[in-house]
Amino acid sequence: MTKQQTPLIMGIVIILFFAVFPFVYTGTNYPYVMHIIIAGFYYAILTSSWSMLSGYGGQFSFGHMGFTGIGAYTTALFCHYIYLSPEATNICTEFSIGSQYLVFVNPIGITSSTLVQDCLREALTIWDGSVQVTPMPVWLGIILGIAMGGLFGLLIGLLVLPLRAAYLALFTLGFTEILRAVISSELAITRGQAGLELPMLFENGINLFGKHYDKTDKIPPYFVMFFLLLICLGILYWLAQSKFGLFIRALREDQDAAAALGVNTTKYKIMLFVITSMMAAAAGAFFAHYIGIISPNNLMILQMSLVVSMAVIAGIENIFAAAIGAIIIEFTLEMLRSSFDIPIIGIEVDMTIWRLVVFGALLMITLRLSRNGIIAPIITYFSRGHVAEETVAKRKTSNANEESA
Amino acid sequence: MEFPIIFWSVVLWMIFWGIVGSIGSRKAYLRKDLDTSNAGYLGAMIGAATGPFGLIALWIKTPKASKGLMIAPPIAAFILLAISFAFADPTNHCVSNGSFVASQISNGIILGILYGFMALGLTLIYSILGVVSFAHGDFYMIGGMAAYYVTVVWFPGINPLVGIGFACISTFALGALFERVFLTPMYDGRIERPVEYGILVTFGLAFTLQYFIAATVGSNPVKAKRYFDFPRIRWPSKEDPWLLKTSRGNMELFDTISISNPRFTAAVVCVMVLLMMIYFLNRTWTGKALRAVSLDRDAAAIAGINPNRMNMLAFALGGMLAALAGALLVQAFSWLPQVGAIPAMRSFVIVVLGGLGSLPGAFVGGIIVGLVESAGTGCVPNPQRAASYIPAYGGIVLLLTLLLRPTGLFGRRFSGGAHGKFG
Repeated sequence: MTKQQTPLIMGIVIILFFAVFPFVYTGTNYPYVMHIIIAGFYYAILTSSWSMLSGYGGQFSFGHMGFTGIGAYTTALFCHYIYLSPEATNICTEFSIGSQYLVFVNPIGITSSTLVQDCLREALTIWDGSVQVTPMPVWLGIILGIAMGGLFGLLIGLLVLPLRAAYLALFTLGFTEILRAVISSELAITRGQAGLELPMLFENGINLFGKHYDKTDKIPPYFVMFFLLLICLGILYWLAQSKFGLFIRALREDQDAAAALGVNTTKYKIMLFVITSMMAAAAGAFFAHYIGIISPNNLMILQMSLVVSMAVIAGIENIFAAAIGAIIIEFTLEMLRSSFDIPIIGIEVDMTIWRLVVFGALLMITLRLSRNGIIAPIITYFSRGHVAEETVAKRKTSNANEESA
Repeated sequence: MEFPIIFWSVVLWMIFWGIVGSIGSRKAYLRKDLDTSNAGYLGAMIGAATGPFGLIALWIKTPKASKGLMIAPPIAAFILLAISFAFADPTNHCVSNGSFVASQISNGIILGILYGFMALGLTLIYSILGVVSFAHGDFYMIGGMAAYYVTVVWFPGINPLVGIGFACISTFALGALFERVFLTPMYDGRIERPVEYGILVTFGLAFTLQYFIAATVGSNPVKAKRYFDFPRIRWPSKEDPWLLKTSRGNMELFDTISISNPRFTAAVVCVMVLLMMIYFLNRTWTGKALRAVSLDRDAAAIAGINPNRMNMLAFALGGMLAALAGALLVQAFSWLPQVGAIPAMRSFVIVVLGGLGSLPGAFVGGIIVGLVESAGTGCVPNPQRAASYIPAYGGIVLLLTLLLRPTGLFGRRFSGGAHGKFG
């Protein structure tokens, strides 16, 4: 094992660790720990795709949470309002597809379910159990959510083409703000702050390797999020290694110079936006189905600042560092949810709030002292540490050759 | 709304011709080899205001973007929108009730002055450091908290001026300290991408400050007593034998316009401080030096101004202005650690609308945003929905400005200073 193989081996060890963890760990707080790790995966997807967007591409977008919300709300609305029914309800808007009817439920907003019912519920009461309606498949909603995220990514990518640095940040911030305002205001459709309920990822449970998992079991969503993270990291790594990664880094360093050297900056900038926002939308859609409820608070600037801070503390110019950092930070933040007494002064310190103060200070100090974050330099040390020594050795030999000649 | 179809079809018509105009005009100007920097804006506005008729004239004549041509179309578009709204909803308060309109306008202007004042600090920071301070809302929050602590918790009954002064001094010191510790590496090329660094580090400051206050003060809303009572003159009566009495209520003008006391005092102080700022920037050596640095850093340095010191001064002064607004408004609103988020977002909208780095733009932009917001709140038929849409009005103004005219109303096209160098 050479020094530069260490990150690769460490990566395999980490993947194996997370792959066997749910079967090995047997603490009493098992569901809690699993939940934290799933949330960690979710943040890892967001952080690594954001680091691709801003660290590699230099596009400082504060709209990443907006794309998450688009993905989550698309699938939520899809699953909430569209059903398949074998018979016509004659009350709802419906279309016949073969022998089935596609039923669009009318939005009723937040009302007590006993007073006002939507048209499908009314029809169900009339049928009195004689007809079974099927909800739309969750995976179709998720695919739609991802597609919608990509579509909005394309739109935003087109709109922000001429904007740079601070203007881009403000534009994406304004976009998220509008999105949040619309979602929380259209009570009739999105139920506003009350949140929209979603079916679980595996509503009827799932059989895996001869074992049945209930819909509230943590293992299936754990592996779904885990594989999603691995797929995203794989795509991102492949992109970063390819010409695409080279071009967007050129874009970051100097857009005009890159364009002058023949890089199609428009195309790559838009592609970058589409790909990263699709990843954010995918993460949002899967996570919303895992949690089971989505509210506009998920798009808040606080969530965005968490993602930004995780990426910056871990290392914004390395997707793997960002992903690992997100999981570690999410885990640490959750573990710090406790209070303790300072023995001498006798003041109770509530770490639930103070942990975020420490986190913010850590963000500032990391930025000030180590601009590539904390984890990225470690990876660089192992994978590229030999480069400097080799260069020095090469120079020495060439100098020696020159002298002897 | 009685005839929503009228209003929405007009809106769609305007959007359609606006898009056509902005794309087509750029091409029309390019074909004649003219300056295209304002073509998109002109095309969008003329398209929205006059539809295809004005656009054809514009594409044939392709006039130079004069001041009148820049200002008239948006006003015409606004009038068109207002008329269609009046026809669509004739019973709305905004159409039928004149005193309601007057009070909405006065409220909008007062709100706009306060917003503009907040934005003033942000634009000052941007014009000199080239950094959009994401911690601006938290300076506002800290200012309010400091004033509250001095006037209510530590020294109850003390003159509120002491509280305001304490808020200003403490945030000035905080801003200067932060600038020295965290922003100095931006100036000498030690950091590859200073604009992004500035955004991130102020973002971190915002995060830290907000949770620091949440941890030390707690998350319960606090509110300061009103600083000042309006005098009210009335005839003495038996129950009320005093000729001159102070009242805590609102100021009523002609029985129609009602202005809340804290907002009015805050707006008056803001206007006074604005006049002082104008004097400071135009008449004193330090103010002139600040403006010189914002125009051209290197030339200012040659003339004997230390640009780094001006950076510190600008950041501290900008933070102090936000804190002053906070200290004045802590008597009007309940104060929470998260209270800075909304005015910060408004400030971003305003500085972009007015032109990043333009001081008069901040004030004009503030008043426009205040008016848009009060029109949006007062005129949208469903009041609950209107209130929850408030953040979107600012966002729409922001997006439209960035798309049509990124330099804003008063923005300099070729800005010097730090942002020209780093951008």
